[in-house]
Amino acid sequence: MDHDQAMYATKPTRRTVFMRTFLPWQMWRFAVINVKMIELIRRGHRGTKR
Amino acid sequence: MSRVVVLGAGIAGHTAVAYLRRWLGRDDTVTVISPRPDYNWVPSNIWVGVGLMKPDKVTFPLAPIYERKGIEFVQAAATQLHPEGDAQDSTPYVVAASDDGKVHRVPYDFLINATGPALRFDKTEGLGPEGHSLSVCLPDHAAEASRALDEEVERMKRGERRKFLVGVGHGTCTCEGAAFEYIVNLEFELRHRGVRDKADITWITNEYELGDFGMGGMQLKHGGYVTPSSIFNASLFAERGIDWITRAHVEKVEPDRVQYETLDGAKAEQEFDFAMLLPPFSGVGLTAVDAHGADITDKVFAPNGFMRVDADYSGKPYEEWKASDWPRTYQSPVYPNLFAAGIAFAPPHAISVPRKSPNGTVIAPAPPRTGMPSATIAKAVAASVTDMVRGGEGPTHTASMAEMGASCVASAGANPFTGTAAAMTVFPIVPDWDEYPETGRDIKRTFGEIGLAGHWIKILLHHMFLYKARLRPGWRLIPE
Ligand SMILES: Cc1cc2nc3c(=O)[nH]c(=O)nc-3n(C[C@H](O)[C@H](O)[C@H](O)COP(=O)(O)OP(=O)(O)OC[C@H]3O[C@@H](n4cnc5c(N)ncnc54)[C@H](O)[C@@H]3O)c2cc1C
Repeated sequence: MDHDQAMYATKPTRRTVFMRTFLPWQMWRFAVINVKMIELIRRGHRGTKR
Repeated sequence: MSRVVVLGAGIAGHTAVAYLRRWLGRDDTVTVISPRPDYNWVPSNIWVGVGLMKPDKVTFPLAPIYERKGIEFVQAAATQLHPEGDAQDSTPYVVAASDDGKVHRVPYDFLINATGPALRFDKTEGLGPEGHSLSVCLPDHAAEASRALDEEVERMKRGERRKFLVGVGHGTCTCEGAAFEYIVNLEFELRHRGVRDKADITWITNEYELGDFGMGGMQLKHGGYVTPSSIFNASLFAERGIDWITRAHVEKVEPDRVQYETLDGAKAEQEFDFAMLLPPFSGVGLTAVDAHGADITDKVFAPNGFMRVDADYSGKPYEEWKASDWPRTYQSPVYPNLFAAGIAFAPPHAISVPRKSPNGTVIAPAPPRTGMPSATIAKAVAASVTDMVRGGEGPTHTASMAEMGASCVASAGANPFTGTAAAMTVFPIVPDWDEYPETGRDIKRTFGEIGLAGHWIKILLHHMFLYKARLRPGWRLIPE
């Protein structure tokens, strides 16, 4: 590992790492991300509606 | 009665064919010409490449589906377009060749070119499965990468230290996102197999900064700041102990090392035992001739082999381009019954700043055209063609990459409880500096986060899109 590169990089706190696989939080994020993506897809499809 | 022909049965071509068949009348014929017998859900090739899926989980035979739906399937590679027919008959046609040497002449009223990219391993000496590096672009490439990985794991289990190099194999590559996904999955898999401490993993890329992805990077709102994607990408690599080499053009791949040049003109080399390097792309090399047999390839196609459509190809300086230069209808400017969809259309310009080394080597990612825009464009083109078959004068539907977003879920480890993926969305894909002067994109709709939820979404997408591609009941309800 190149230590200079890693030293200047942002690193997640233990809490951030924990939350990434913490089930209740991830279930909530699953819902939120899906809603965001569906909204985005809808916008992109405005010109394709028949 | 009209004949609509689609070249290519990938994400764009297959989407176009499915909608055309649904929207056109039974009198109209829909024909697809494509060289491979199978459909491939390309994004999941990553999982084949790390041994988590077999190739048959990401492919299925097309013929039975096309038969069920009344779509004609010609298993052949298109070679030449005759948009004006020939001296005897002015009906346009396309010439295609099968593996067995049979040459087909397929007439059309409307043609959609969705042939995707040619994988140009030949652009870098020693690059690719026929040379000294691996690829995950095709299912059999990915299966080979998985076998090579198994061998490396065996050696590491015996105590050997091994070097892994992943990234792009040329200064003009695109699709950095796919290589990124591969490297983080590889790292996860090596941890999972208990040999991570024996592996040195390095990322090599033509991006100016990490996280550029050919889109000039992204700006994301995070913790009170608008933060560039490079910060998140570097963080992800640092956390996983992955080193990186940016601004690099791989010149040559030898059996155990790559020779590369960086943007400052310096030459260097990087050793490896296992290298997965994506190739640069070009168009598939279709040619075109007019009614008299004169070559008109350069009228129909750009020099990189991608098809010219309704974009601004005037070649103005990078600083002057606008979101509105990007195509909306994908109609050929020379032949109104000819369209392109997916990777096959020629982008008007780079999104990432084009840069050259002092030696004149271009080291800058080409603009990406990922799955979601490819399918959305295909649907818009299919809708326009349907209306034109019914007498419409011109294209009625649009899908500009400067007006649509993309969502991308990059798997960073496949496990239902400990896996994660980076879920990202950008809006629009092509930055619109007039509309969003500060960051080029809508900051509310451009976001990214890493977590298990992203992995679940990735799994969901894999199953949903394969279901949709099989044209099972209700397939239309699944968005592109
Ligand atoms: C490893 C990898 C991972 C990826 N992951 C993602 C991801 O997670 N999300 C995402 O959005 N995108 C992803 N992409 C990008 C995505 O796969 C492409 O955007 C998409 O496949 C483009 O669709 P297409 O139909 O234009 O081209 P393709 O899917 O490549 O299809 C081209 C079709 O044309 C056929 N063809 C080729 N030559 C001819 C010819 N001469 N005549 C007729 N037919 C021909 C081919 O056989 C194929 O059927 C990934 C790409 C790769 C390589």
